[in-house]
Amino acid sequence: MSSDLVMDTCLLAGEIMLKNGGETYRTEETMSLIARAAGMDSVNSSATPTSIILSFRTNGQDHTRMVRTPSRTINLNKVTLANDVSRRFVSGKITLLEAYHLFEQIDRGKPVYPRWLLHMAAGIASGSFSMLAGGSWYDLLPSVLAGLTVNLSLQFFEKFLRMKFFTEFMSALLGGLFAFLSVTIFPQLHFSILIIGAMLPLFPGIAITNSLRDLIAGDLVAGVSRGAEALLTALSVAVATAITLWFMR
Amino acid sequence: MVLLKGLGLSLLSSMAWGLLFNVPVRTLLACGFAGLTGWLVFALLPLFGAEVILCTFVAATVVSMLSQMLSIWLRVPSTNFSVAGIIPLVPGSLAYKAMLAFVNGEYINGLTLGMQTAMVAGAIASGLILGISVFTIWRETRHARKRAQ
Repeated sequence: MSSDLVMDTCLLAGEIMLKNGGETYRTEETMSLIARAAGMDSVNSSATPTSIILSFRTNGQDHTRMVRTPSRTINLNKVTLANDVSRRFVSGKITLLEAYHLFEQIDRGKPVYPRWLLHMAAGIASGSFSMLAGGSWYDLLPSVLAGLTVNLSLQFFEKFLRMKFFTEFMSALLGGLFAFLSVTIFPQLHFSILIIGAMLPLFPGIAITNSLRDLIAGDLVAGVSRGAEALLTALSVAVATAITLWFMR
Repeated sequence: MVLLKGLGLSLLSSMAWGLLFNVPVRTLLACGFAGLTGWLVFALLPLFGAEVILCTFVAATVVSMLSQMLSIWLRVPSTNFSVAGIIPLVPGSLAYKAMLAFVNGEYINGLTLGMQTAMVAGAIASGLILGISVFTIWRETRHARKRAQ
């Protein structure tokens, strides 16, 4: 078994997991398990939210490589699929080459759900969350539209603004402005309910849960940096909300 | 009736949130179920006189343990469920009230509400951690017993 193929497979698996919202400890564990199952000695892997390092020893030679993952999206389906393939390889059901091809397929794969469905989902999540927070039936449609606005503008600004903080800030601001406009036109709507619903698509759920999982798995660096990511998002949403509230005064 | 409405809404919001993060299609309903269970615990505990922080904590623990079980049953990473399951517990209205108080210049009030928001967020976090830890202990003891036999 060539060590290059082992290295490529491990790094591809790790990259898929890290890029699509998997936990850091899961990334490290998967890479180590694959490398050990392929017969490598003294396997060490280290991952932070932005980079992966893997090193192992075989035939008296050390191999180390590092990849960076600058762009991150969230696609839990790919994490699940990659997890499945690595399990199948470790239990000996498929060969290393087959595993590599499967990982390549997963990496190239398109998202499960079409774009419009995701925007609809953001709207539905916003609407039902604002109803849970105590809205009346009249608030349902405006908050669905507000959530839709936030998600659409998130996609729109992502293309132009490279900074995540500013993208989220602008989307939150637009969602807030939508809520402001609908309250000015229909005064019987509740502004607070609309804002609470509109900001839901920006809630950093993955960052928070992953940072906790990483922290209790002992990955302090990864946990703290993901926590900082979540805090930044929360901060941008809070500032945008404060600005919209200023308009309301 | 209020309970039924809340159950439907929490199911819907958790499923929509799972969809937003591209969870596999076969786990979608389970995501909604995790959110529904969490919200049910959150809504029923005040009847026994529990405060909002305790309710959130227990609900997050239940969501976390349920996601671990679902992850074994459906053979997918448990993140799929726990991320969607905590959505109905998010302290959105508390955070909003805190911001409102700050904008109106009521800093003491804003700090109180902000602190409460932070406490609820911390309750979600520690509930998630407790769920994972309890589940890990249970799994380890089961493994140890198997090895001893």
